[in-house]
Amino acid sequence: MTSALRVTGLRVTYGPVVAVDGFDLEVREGEIYGLLGPNGAGKTSALSAIEGLLRPAAGDIVIGDIDARAHRMRAKAQLGVQLQATSFHSNLKLLELVRLFAGLYGVTLSPAQIRELLEEINLQQEASKRFRELSGGQQQRFSLLIATIHDPPLVLLDEPTAGLDPQARRQLWDRIERFRKESRSILLTTHSMEEAQAVCDRVAIMDHGKILTVGTPAGLIAAHRDDPQVRQAAHGEVTLEDVFIALTGRALRD
Amino acid sequence: MTEDVSLPQRRSVAVPTWSSSLKVLLRADSTAQMRTSMSLVLTFALPLILLVATGLGKNSAALGGPQFRISLALTVGLVSIGTVGYSLAIARDRDTGVFQRLRVTPAPTWTIMVSRWIVQLGAVLVMAIVVLVVAALFVGVTLPPQDYLFTVLVALLGSAVFLSIGQAIVGLIASADTLNAAGRLLYVPLIGLSLFGNTDRLGTTVELVSRWSPGGCLETLLSAAMGATAWSGQSWGALFASVGYTVVFSVIGIRWFRWVSH
Repeated sequence: MTSALRVTGLRVTYGPVVAVDGFDLEVREGEIYGLLGPNGAGKTSALSAIEGLLRPAAGDIVIGDIDARAHRMRAKAQLGVQLQATSFHSNLKLLELVRLFAGLYGVTLSPAQIRELLEEINLQQEASKRFRELSGGQQQRFSLLIATIHDPPLVLLDEPTAGLDPQARRQLWDRIERFRKESRSILLTTHSMEEAQAVCDRVAIMDHGKILTVGTPAGLIAAHRDDPQVRQAAHGEVTLEDVFIALTGRALRD
Repeated sequence: MTEDVSLPQRRSVAVPTWSSSLKVLLRADSTAQMRTSMSLVLTFALPLILLVATGLGKNSAALGGPQFRISLALTVGLVSIGTVGYSLAIARDRDTGVFQRLRVTPAPTWTIMVSRWIVQLGAVLVMAIVVLVVAALFVGVTLPPQDYLFTVLVALLGSAVFLSIGQAIVGLIASADTLNAAGRLLYVPLIGLSLFGNTDRLGTTVELVSRWSPGGCLETLLSAAMGATAWSGQSWGALFASVGYTVVFSVIGIRWFRWVSH
């Protein structure tokens, strides 16, 4: 199976602070890959480097067969990105925002096509509303539509279900499943172990800027089931969260 | 969860040209600008109110001739659009993550900022024309055609000066709230200094500082453009100083600009 994304030796620094160091990751084609880690682990910094939002101090990023550091624009065109905290022009209507972002990816859409797209995510009634006037779930659906407006082979989702109610979260999981069927690859970060188990083919647990372990959710549980720290963290049957806590510690993070 | 199925080959997505990116950004930014009620007030209402209000009252002549009133209205419009409106809009979009959302697209990052500048220059152009038309219709000041052209060109140069000051502010101040306060604080001296370049009522030092301030230079150039004073060595000095201000503040604003506020 070929790689949709290959990151090797990634290092991201903010002045003297090292946020990501020696970070290696491979997302296969058609795979949903979850990146788990406590706050400040370096998930968003790693994702930002892949997205081209910041220049890494070292490392290689290859998207499909494109060297992302050498061909930033070509690499960005292959990515669908949903940022953790995102917003759109506050005075533009949804219709206009779709047209703007489609245009930025070189996709031309007629008003009828835009309405069809909004209808697909059940926002046809909101076409003339502003983004800020939408509910949390609607905002998330719209952000995902914008992220995939150009039919990208690789989609990056930074905590896509944060702050969503269970219904909206399930709806998003269904949409992620549809992406898989469309043979897209997905790299998502999440704090939700339930989400990681429900939608991810493989997960990586990272902390202090490094990947600690990688595997399928079931495989990780099986591999760490007998670790004393995991047994100590478990309340009954061992879960992915127990493995996560055992590997990253119980101390609160900012 | 991995199914062992053969996946259809996904095509590579092409990169759009910078011109097509700039075109769609311009369309979006100009629509957003026109929908902002505050920007419309700053763009048109304030200069027009000032143009009319400075002609009211029996002591209004002491403020200066009709050309001075027009140049004051234009200066207020330019400071409002460039220094206050522009910098605040940029800071707010930076705070809310609008720029980050645009930066993950394949559009060159310079097109994001250039689009904003072009829209501001367009707003200045429209504002200058409206002020000159109102001045002709209601203040009774008409100029020869070449002076109209000259005045509009000077207004665009002034726009570059005040936009660069706005860029420097947004480059140096990260938070939109702090920037809002700083913009308001700067507004008064920027306008105030432009008022005293032609008078020594507050002393010769204030006159000198005022004359060579960004607003004072603009006043000098507008006065010459509208034929109120002859083009002179001081006009050339004001022109070079304006270009210098633009370069210096642009370099500061671009060098220290950050796309995120944290």
